[in-house]
Amino acid sequence: MSNINIDSIKERTFDAIVIGSGISGGWAAKELTEKGLKTLVLERGRDVKHVVDYPTTNMYPYEFEHRGEVPLATQEAAPIVNRCYAFREDAMHFFVKDNEHPYIQEKPFDWIRGYQVGGKSLLWARQTQRWSDYDFEGPARDGFAVDWPIRYKDIAPWYSYVEKFAGISGNKDGLKELPDGDFLPGYPLNAVEDYFKGVLKTKYPNRHVISARCAHLSKPNPIHIEQGRVQCQNRILCQRGCPFGGYFSSNSSTLPWAEKTGNLTLRPFSVAHSIIYDEQKGKAVGVKIIDTNTKEEIDYFARIIFVNAAALNTNLILLNSKSNRFPNGLGNDADVLGKYVAFHNYSARISAEYDGLKEFKTDGRNPAGGGYIPRFRNVAKQETNFLRGYAAGFSAYRGSDRDVSKVGENLKTQLLNPTLGPWRVGSHMMGETLPKEKNFVALDSSKKDAWDIPLLKISIDYDDNDVKMKADYIEQLTEMFTEAGFKNIQANTAGQAPGLDIHEMGGVRMGNDPKTSMLNKWNQLHHCSNVFVTDGACMTSTSTQNPSLTYMAFSARSVDYAVNEMKKNNL
Amino acid sequence: MKRRSAIKNLLIIAGGIAILPSCSQESGGASIQLNNLDINQTQEDLLAEITETIIPKTDSPGAKDLKLHLFVLKMVDDCHNKDDQKIFTDGLNAIDQLSKKRFSKSFNEASLAQRTQLLQFLGSDKETKNDVEGFYAITKRRTIQGFLNSKYVMKDLKQYELIPGRYNGYASANETIRIS
Repeated sequence: MSNINIDSIKERTFDAIVIGSGISGGWAAKELTEKGLKTLVLERGRDVKHVVDYPTTNMYPYEFEHRGEVPLATQEAAPIVNRCYAFREDAMHFFVKDNEHPYIQEKPFDWIRGYQVGGKSLLWARQTQRWSDYDFEGPARDGFAVDWPIRYKDIAPWYSYVEKFAGISGNKDGLKELPDGDFLPGYPLNAVEDYFKGVLKTKYPNRHVISARCAHLSKPNPIHIEQGRVQCQNRILCQRGCPFGGYFSSNSSTLPWAEKTGNLTLRPFSVAHSIIYDEQKGKAVGVKIIDTNTKEEIDYFARIIFVNAAALNTNLILLNSKSNRFPNGLGNDADVLGKYVAFHNYSARISAEYDGLKEFKTDGRNPAGGGYIPRFRNVAKQETNFLRGYAAGFSAYRGSDRDVSKVGENLKTQLLNPTLGPWRVGSHMMGETLPKEKNFVALDSSKKDAWDIPLLKISIDYDDNDVKMKADYIEQLTEMFTEAGFKNIQANTAGQAPGLDIHEMGGVRMGNDPKTSMLNKWNQLHHCSNVFVTDGACMTSTSTQNPSLTYMAFSARSVDYAVNEMKKNNL
Repeated sequence: MKRRSAIKNLLIIAGGIAILPSCSQESGGASIQLNNLDINQTQEDLLAEITETIIPKTDSPGAKDLKLHLFVLKMVDDCHNKDDQKIFTDGLNAIDQLSKKRFSKSFNEASLAQRTQLLQFLGSDKETKNDVEGFYAITKRRTIQGFLNSKYVMKDLKQYELIPGRYNGYASANETIRIS
């Protein structure tokens, strides 16, 4: 009997465990396995194999029963996820159904989740902008949250490292507030995007329109071909999964790479219940999972553990990892776990029309999505009545117009012979929000999910700073659009609940001081040194940039540190 | 293989998508499976004539060729709420009465000019719509959608590119304009 147990424990023991297979977990897995560590990746959802499990990827619009629309019954079963722009008939199988995965909204919060191998890396908007020191120095300068324990110079080489492998397209724009990276050729701006860029250059010295940097292979390098990926074909059907591997996802890139090392064990249908803490050893020894098919509880063991379950679920797992040593959640001596959660303020957008440049239109599709306006408010110093600022998307498009007022042959002729419409321009705000103690997640004291894990209670809201910032965005963009001669300017301030930005961050924040933060500068728990958190949960502040690239860089950097520490027998 | 082709023959192609035929056809029901709408063969035929009036066969396929009426039914059945579905059914039922009132003929008996005139009248911009106008607004929108998203327009007319493989932000406005 005892031999069987020993064998069984041996089979369940690895060098490293990664919880989650999304964008950051995929990177942790790639780095750990490449460095020779036998690595178990736990994924709560089903497996999604590159290409093989992209059922809709090559379908024409007319091949969808509802031409892309989500049937009403499906919408009603998923009222939250239904608000996400990518929840359409072609990709709805990559989103969780809300009714199967309940959570408690103390305040409205749209929690958008993709429970499968690859997680939301299959579905993301693929925008990849670096942070600068204006971002890392934000909390210290403006007196909120805690100081970041790192600066740009610490992460810059790791940005380069992940950019080269993932494949990031962009131009060298020479902007201090948005550092250049190791880019593949950038996608071009179109006629009106270029025009607006020119207007800003003349009228506003510190406001820029650049080509958005994105995780697409505009011109693959040998390292990408080696991953089995080829040039992006401008389909912009990314959310279905890409048969060309034209954009970066765990499924197309890091996970197959990790698998090739022979060191990867991937276990789908494994929801992490908690991290097992050994009081004698004074460290974590493994992860307790529930097999979602059999409901069986299984313990897996490893020397180091990376928690990459996506920001809020990482909080949930740590909160649920209770022991005598850590009665309030693993590593939570400072009582900050689950607190200081923040997000991006996407609550306003603006659109208009432009009468000029009628000699041009666009042809084909732009994977970058158009232009990006880096933050221009409060960059070098405080200058407005709100803290921090916003970045903005900016894109122009010329669609076709047709008169559909008639019926019969007249209508048919109109449908088959459209005319070019005016250029339409649009922008959306991406505002930094301030992490606060009262924006938090916690375990519900009584309600549990299908696997007997406590439900997450989410209490997150906008504040006065967000309201002022939103007003400023509308005011400034309206002014800039007016300067450019855009007409019919329409501001949409209807807003949306936090969460729909899908950039929730924090709760397990980094910091220099173990009394006020959870993680040190290596993303290592201050109080449980063999546990690392490198997904959105680690974020001390949010800045304005789309965060995934930063998670990738943190993951690679943190694994490098952890493996060196293991070699030195410090872990 | 034989079984597969037999099943394939059973599928009705509506604007390019396969729709399972219903079992109730012999008893006079609609020719596709509907979960929410109660539509009989007569009503379905009337809807087909209405969509054909909206997009007629010319030197290119019309609504009936592309089975756009079945697409309209499918969409109203799966993607519209109960209120819309009631307006749709009531409006469809009322259209014959309206035709009889105006032309002393049912919609199917009316001339093409009369049908066109009737639909044009229903389509005029009004703030509030009665059932027939509500029905017509839904039907026209879905018919146009089905047409523009049909295999005929997208693939045969080469209007939709699944794999463009390029992006030009300064293309000449004089080049062909894509329909979809």
